[in-house]
Amino acid sequence: MSNVITDIRSRAKREWEQLEALPRIRVGTALCGNAAGATKVLNAIKNELSLQGIQANVHEVGCLGQCFAEPLVDIKMPGGPRVFYRNVTPESIPELIATCLINQKHISGSTLGSLGDAHVQEISRMEELDSWRHQVRIATRNAGTIDPGNISHYIAQDGYSALAKALTEMTPEQVLEQVAKSGLRGRGGAAFPTATKWGFLARTPGDEKYILVNCEEGDPGAFNDKGILESDPNTVIEGAILAAYATGATFGYVFIRHGHDGPIKRTENAISQARDFGLLGKSILGTEFSFDMEVSLVGESYVSGEETALMEAIEGKRAMPRFRPPFPAQSGLWGKPTNINNVKTLAYIPEIIRQGGEWFAGIGHGRSTGTAVLCLSGEVVRPGMYEVPFGLSLGAVIDEIGGGVPNGQKVKLLQTGGPLGGVLGPQSMEIILDFEQMAQAGAILGSGGIIIGGESVCAVDLVRNLVAFCQFESCGKCFPCRLGMTHLVDVLDRISSGEGMPADQQLMESMGKSMALGSLCGHGQLGFNPVSSALRYFAEEFQTHIQEHRCPAERCSDFMHKPNRTRPLAIGGWYAR
Amino acid sequence: MPDNYSLTIDGVQITAKPGQTVIQAAMDAGIYVPYLCYWPGMKPYGACRMCVVEVEGQRGTPASCTLPAADGMVVKSVTPQVDQLREGILELLLSEHPHGCLTCHRIELCGPQDICLRHVRVTDRCVVCPKNERCELKDTVRYVNMNLETPLAYNYRNLPVETKDPFYDRDYNLCIVCARCVRACDEIRGDEAIAMVDRSGTALVGTSRGSSLLESGCEFCGSCIDVCPVGALVESKYKWEKAVETITSTCTHCPVGCQVDLEVDARGRVIRSLGNWTAPANKGQLCFKGKFGMDFMNHRNRLKSPLIRKHGVLEETTWEEALDLLTDRLPDYAGGKYALLINPRATTENAYLAQKFARQVMDTNNVDVVSNTTPSLLKVLGKTLGTPASTGTIQELDQAQTVVIVNNNTTEDHNIVALPIKQGIKAGSLQLIIIDPREVELTRHAAIWLRPYPGTESALIASLLNVILEEGLHNEQFIRENSEGWESIQNVIGTFNPSYVGDITGVPADQIVAAARLIGQRDPAAFVYGLDNVPDQQQDDVVQGLVNLALATGNIGKPGSGLFPMFKGANHQGAWDVGCNPDFLPGHQAIDAVDNSHNKHGHVPNSEGLGTNQIFQAILDGEIAAIHIVGDDPSIDDFALHAISKAEIVVVHEMFPSKLTELADIVLPLPAFSEQAGTYTSLDRRIQAVRQVIPPKGEAQPLHWVLREIATRMNIDGFAFTDSAEILNEIASLVPTYGGITYQRVQSTTGGLQWPCPSVNHPGTSTLYSDGFSTDQKAKVVAPREHAIPAISQDFPLLFVPGRVLVKPNEDITIMEIQGHNQIVNEDILELNADDAHGLGVSDGELLELITPVNRKLYRAKLNGGLSGIVTSTTLFGELATKLDTSEEFDPMLRVPRLDVIPARVSKPAPDPQTT
Repeated sequence: MSNVITDIRSRAKREWEQLEALPRIRVGTALCGNAAGATKVLNAIKNELSLQGIQANVHEVGCLGQCFAEPLVDIKMPGGPRVFYRNVTPESIPELIATCLINQKHISGSTLGSLGDAHVQEISRMEELDSWRHQVRIATRNAGTIDPGNISHYIAQDGYSALAKALTEMTPEQVLEQVAKSGLRGRGGAAFPTATKWGFLARTPGDEKYILVNCEEGDPGAFNDKGILESDPNTVIEGAILAAYATGATFGYVFIRHGHDGPIKRTENAISQARDFGLLGKSILGTEFSFDMEVSLVGESYVSGEETALMEAIEGKRAMPRFRPPFPAQSGLWGKPTNINNVKTLAYIPEIIRQGGEWFAGIGHGRSTGTAVLCLSGEVVRPGMYEVPFGLSLGAVIDEIGGGVPNGQKVKLLQTGGPLGGVLGPQSMEIILDFEQMAQAGAILGSGGIIIGGESVCAVDLVRNLVAFCQFESCGKCFPCRLGMTHLVDVLDRISSGEGMPADQQLMESMGKSMALGSLCGHGQLGFNPVSSALRYFAEEFQTHIQEHRCPAERCSDFMHKPNRTRPLAIGGWYAR
Repeated sequence: MPDNYSLTIDGVQITAKPGQTVIQAAMDAGIYVPYLCYWPGMKPYGACRMCVVEVEGQRGTPASCTLPAADGMVVKSVTPQVDQLREGILELLLSEHPHGCLTCHRIELCGPQDICLRHVRVTDRCVVCPKNERCELKDTVRYVNMNLETPLAYNYRNLPVETKDPFYDRDYNLCIVCARCVRACDEIRGDEAIAMVDRSGTALVGTSRGSSLLESGCEFCGSCIDVCPVGALVESKYKWEKAVETITSTCTHCPVGCQVDLEVDARGRVIRSLGNWTAPANKGQLCFKGKFGMDFMNHRNRLKSPLIRKHGVLEETTWEEALDLLTDRLPDYAGGKYALLINPRATTENAYLAQKFARQVMDTNNVDVVSNTTPSLLKVLGKTLGTPASTGTIQELDQAQTVVIVNNNTTEDHNIVALPIKQGIKAGSLQLIIIDPREVELTRHAAIWLRPYPGTESALIASLLNVILEEGLHNEQFIRENSEGWESIQNVIGTFNPSYVGDITGVPADQIVAAARLIGQRDPAAFVYGLDNVPDQQQDDVVQGLVNLALATGNIGKPGSGLFPMFKGANHQGAWDVGCNPDFLPGHQAIDAVDNSHNKHGHVPNSEGLGTNQIFQAILDGEIAAIHIVGDDPSIDDFALHAISKAEIVVVHEMFPSKLTELADIVLPLPAFSEQAGTYTSLDRRIQAVRQVIPPKGEAQPLHWVLREIATRMNIDGFAFTDSAEILNEIASLVPTYGGITYQRVQSTTGGLQWPCPSVNHPGTSTLYSDGFSTDQKAKVVAPREHAIPAISQDFPLLFVPGRVLVKPNEDITIMEIQGHNQIVNEDILELNADDAHGLGVSDGELLELITPVNRKLYRAKLNGGLSGIVTSTTLFGELATKLDTSEEFDPMLRVPRLDVIPARVSKPAPDPQTT
């Protein structure tokens, strides 16, 4: 058996080395790259190469995380370092090819940095960049480096060696033990200890058990799940197989929101390649362990990312949360014991098994071990996907990695953890990145999205937008969420349009209490968070809107477009939105 | 695990069974916790959050409908936090639910006939809600005792009220989105005709395929109405009427024995019927007949006094004169010239007295239930097993692993029987096999649908036995210990091998084998059978074939197994049990075995009696001259009417003027089932009370009164009963299986008693033969016989096989509003075998005329790979529902058109003379 993986690995490494013999050009074609025009760049490169008759290996890779620099082209000459050219346009390609591949020089002004032992004079090393130096890349270790469409690339980076190690040298209990030692906590938002969760499933007897990988990712401002699946699907698949081994699960689903084409295609492709390599299916790597998985798609509904709603959706039903107990570990998908993990959580597993739980526990801060994959967006100089160890301050993340707010403005507010997370004020820059401290500050780290707002942002307007989103995305099952959200939007609408009433804050708080206490699932329970946290940091701004009928940020001044006005309007037979 | 948990709710110590939720335990203990989305008997849903409680040692406020009870739990259902939460949620709820009924200051002053003075908005007046004072939301708000002054903005949805579909109205302005209706339709009924639509604040209930229920798969059972807590779903008829009384009785539309709660208004009308949730026969469910077909007794055309034909015209008269006339005329026909037919809606007591009257007053065995057109259904069971009755209990069918349904349109004719089957299928534990040429609602739920050429069913069933014996799937031990007669089968069963039978029936051999394996390998298996469209000479063989299968696989005597004959009349079983049958006396005692010199039945005529199937011919043959019919029935067809018209004297007891009464010489007004007391015996032997709900209309008198009066006038003893209870006592003394039945007992139990119930302390018997068969009375198997395929006439060389289903998922249905009612206006499709079509020169999509002995109709041809010689057409139940809803008949549910296979021919329609 161990021969099987050794063979596969040595073949993959050989292939990888052969690639290095020629000039290598890698273009990031993940969501961010494509949005910036990477496909056109890629085509231009291919055209130019064939026009010039130059031999080179051109690959599509995922997201390096430096999304602000997309389209990002990575050129590596044999023996040289990887040199990243930023914001490349199709028009600049002929010059780029001519300089780099034909003349073997560099256009130093267009570079982001270089990566690798061999150093090039006038190009700064990535390790010296603010946007790179804080990073510890574990879950995203291969992102931007390997071709996510080719499993050999992943294997060449020691991929699936954790699986081989687990299957040959470790019992399921030992795998569980390593995960427990690592202190890994769920990255979907709830930060529940992963080993404990797996333990529930491992202890539940059953012939059929399921592992679900959650890539519903509906939070505005979060793109790390998609980013990881699109850049390195195999690390998630390997993590899922290891989870299945540790818990005795028999089948897995990767649950991706319909429309996320990149992650869907690349994951489906990776699963079928893994199956071809004997890494999925019956008798994995020749052992007695069998496990298979497939991609399951769902319509665009935020709530279907909730674990039980997700199961309903996979079963083909309307995505509405179930009540608990029974918990998924007892009765989940199709009524069978089920474990559900976020993409990022599973992406850590291969490295934890390969390097040991203690290694992982050594990174991070307090009970928050390891790293956080953050997505910076909004009013920030360097938006992107950054993997940083816990313990960094929010200030370091925003100002150093993100480069602060453009045009010299100051940070006014941070919106973290998705729309159900919270709104933080400028004083929160001191907060250390860690699950507990974030929660204490009235926000959550959630799935890692951080939206940055500068001085021109109005807290009321932002909160109204967030609540309108939550309202629109409520499934409509439980009464407090269905009706509470609707009224909350109403009240915020009215405050924002200068018609707020003095009692409105109290009214919102009493509705918020009903929602938090009464709602069936997290959507309603946390649905008041944006309002409550904003009231904590921006109470004055709310009062200005209500009492002085003006918006200090001059955002609500024209009392404005009303996005997603979701109140029922009487038109025709049915509700018209 | 302990048998019981002990927990405390609001300081009261209660016990809960493991697996119960807190709200269930509280309800069992009589503690009220408010709830709106929960419904006992359905899975918890956890949406309304009204039932929130606090639990000592637990965070938050869990909903008690989803909270499993645990030992030692300390629960508080009333705390400041819980109260505040409930109030907060109700406040939200009332912000979109018209609630003038709660806030109008005239609530206490307003009387039932008062004109509303509109102290509240028009959309908010209590008169916009038909459930006023029946509303659970209103009760809950009052229980919570909340302050109704709210700062929240009130939104009226302003949706049009959906009133155009049959039978019930949907006003989604009143809907609170508790999804009880959606869950009842899905979980209990297995229909999924309604569904949640849209999301968040605009989430609402809608139909599964658009706006009309006609195409959505709705079976119009009304289950959704019964669970609706507010006025969103209501019956259209008597929508605004207020009930003053609710009385539980037994439904009269089929022999399932559903218990219905009949609501009576101040004017003595039955205005609504609701399934009784505590009744084991139907567990709260009804069908379209029981739910929407219960007001026939209110009809103003009811016959109210006796009529006598004078000079060719029926004239009103007095009971005195009518009874004197009968006393005068009837003795002339004593002996074989008189026949008495009662309809199966007659109570067991009336049926008993009817046969006693025929035998002891009229000295004839010519007495029968008029619905007894397929006596094989029960007769064969009596002959081979010992008791002519269903061996099991309907509601235990969900325990079956395999159910075989033969030639029965269960969903329409015995609706509730389909429920445990559908629930079993939904739970994944039950596989359904259907043997029927017709496409019916259950065929889409079937694992295997064997669709034989009509009239070859008995061979198909024999073939299943062939496979079971061939493959060794039979239960050797059960066969040895309980049955006899297998030698006769050994010799002939080889003939019925799947390939040969496949050729005769047109059913692929591999399907026969697969079905036989499902029966043989899965345990228990049950057999539900009708004899719709089975030729007369094969009826015994079909039933016998199923008895053979049940015995071969050991599927008798345990829950979820057995044989379930699907006869049609509501009290058909009761009438048989008390000897309302030409062949036997009360207690299924064969006539020829009776020694007339001393028996407890009194005088027993020794001439052979005629039954329903012979009586009408006998009238035409001149053998019978006096025909006495109690109650109309669909079995009285044109042939029967023709025969009746030839009789010398026709006595008819009826509720309504009809074709039958037109032929009568004496018409006696009959009370409806709801106007008299008595008992019905269901098809699973459940003896249940029929209670008097309203007084009889006019001078209507029950049959037993009439017979008593005649017998008294003739000076014949033995008829001096004052009520049904006394008659039932006499039945109990004569029928051993009814030995422990008294009216008092039957009336005091919701579920009635299943016979055999030999003594007053006996709890009744749910499953027959649970101890097996005794050695001296083993069950008998009988060898299958080969039958020629029924001959086809030259004029009508094809067989037309109609079908009816709830939903056609792959077809576009066009619905138009015609005269205020939604109607399906699709062209009818006639499917025919492609080869047949080529022979006829018909191509796909062509317009065709189908001509049968009774009518002709245009269809659009669709060629398929079906059997040669057969044309089929499947219609939607919705089409029928509209017809029933708009019917002018007095009792439309009595005459729901059945799916009869009839001979036919097709031709291209003659060109329209106007266009040529």
